[in-house]
Amino acid sequence: MTLLTALARLLIFPGLLFAVPAAWFFLWVERKSIALMQGRVGPPFMQPFWDFIKLLGKSTPPRPGITGLLMRAWPLIAVSAAAGAVGLLPVLPSSGGFEGDLILLLALLELPSICIIAAGFSSRSIFGEIGSAREAALSVSYNIVFLLAIVSIAASQHTFRLEALAAAPNSPLHWVGVLAILVCLPAKLHINPFSLPNAEQEIYAGPMTEYAGPELAMWELSHGLEWVAGTGLVATLVAPHIAIPLGAAWLAACIFVALCVVIVLLLSALAAATARLAIDSSVRFYWQCTLIFAILAVSSAILMRIRS
Amino acid sequence: MNILIMLWKNLRRGYQTLLFPAHPRVTPHFRGLVQFDPELCTGCAVCRFRCTSRAIEFKAGKGEFTWSYNPGQCTFCGRCVEGCTEHALKEGHVEHALSQQEAVPPIYTVQGELKKSYTVARRPPAPKPAPAVSPVAPASAAVASTATGGAQ
Repeated sequence: MTLLTALARLLIFPGLLFAVPAAWFFLWVERKSIALMQGRVGPPFMQPFWDFIKLLGKSTPPRPGITGLLMRAWPLIAVSAAAGAVGLLPVLPSSGGFEGDLILLLALLELPSICIIAAGFSSRSIFGEIGSAREAALSVSYNIVFLLAIVSIAASQHTFRLEALAAAPNSPLHWVGVLAILVCLPAKLHINPFSLPNAEQEIYAGPMTEYAGPELAMWELSHGLEWVAGTGLVATLVAPHIAIPLGAAWLAACIFVALCVVIVLLLSALAAATARLAIDSSVRFYWQCTLIFAILAVSSAILMRIRS
Repeated sequence: MNILIMLWKNLRRGYQTLLFPAHPRVTPHFRGLVQFDPELCTGCAVCRFRCTSRAIEFKAGKGEFTWSYNPGQCTFCGRCVEGCTEHALKEGHVEHALSQQEAVPPIYTVQGELKKSYTVARRPPAPKPAPAVSPVAPASAAVASTATGGAQ
């Protein structure tokens, strides 16, 4: 991958120029679909965009005892990491990539979560600290399953290159891995039933309680970009393997967006149908139920590799 | 599984909430706006005392009083109407010759926009009852008056 290709992927497609409007669109799809499933009108199409603009225009009230630099840095790091993760997704055919970009993607996907934990603790708010502690506990639980799922897919194909994984034929093991990633996504995106780090009406906004104005706008944007990156990862893994010529790149982009929207709708239906779980139930779910499933996937992948 | 069926039904039925400033439909039991009759009001201010949402304000002056009602704050609980012994307050639902459109909760964009104030002249106090002939009568009259007060 040349520097020019890398910059184009990071800044244009599927990077910032595509990812930011896509983030607002996915946030709207999530909010609107949940509202319709609950018999409400829901927000208008442009609402996430106007929310962002409105927050950018607001000033942050002074917070005594809190250093401004750290508080401002966490949301910016989270946005950069999430945008970088989206930029790594192999949406277009033969779009480049490098050996090991899957590992970089996993690291970038994890960074917003670490920033949230750090932001909650550095805000010196009791609600922020509770939210951060919950996020840390949840992160430890779902990340084991998430990483094992990714490892099982990568081990079955003998590669850590995203493009090769996306182009590989879909085996049953591949689908087991994708299913495990899908199980982890609600916790990664903080939606019901794993919305306890930012549990509304319980601990206000959790780690974001002390945030306002442009910094909160950045958190909202990073959340939207996480949606694009999380659903995009699954979409690239389940995308049908049809030969798309380079000239018809728009078709690949349309298939990617359509698959992402389907995944967003699925996650929204789950969020609308479930209530928030307590932290012990959430941790138990990932450690007891899903971990066994993920270990089985990894063992099968290793067995397959030994046989071949 | 039931919850999924419920979500599907909600999706098919469409939304039940309305976008501002659409008027909601009211049920036949909706009490509607409180109607005030200055002719009957004696200025006792019991309505203001009973109004927990502070939609009714009362200012006493010399020889007159000002009674204000803000429908934007009213919860239409009907406690003011219930407590008005002079029947100066009435519920404005259909039975009181208001159409369904007029009976719906009002829409407002500015705080206090719908507030209505009435300045009413105090009526002279009612003449005192004539002294009783028998010595037992005053005691029974006092009991009756206390009972009426308690009912309020």
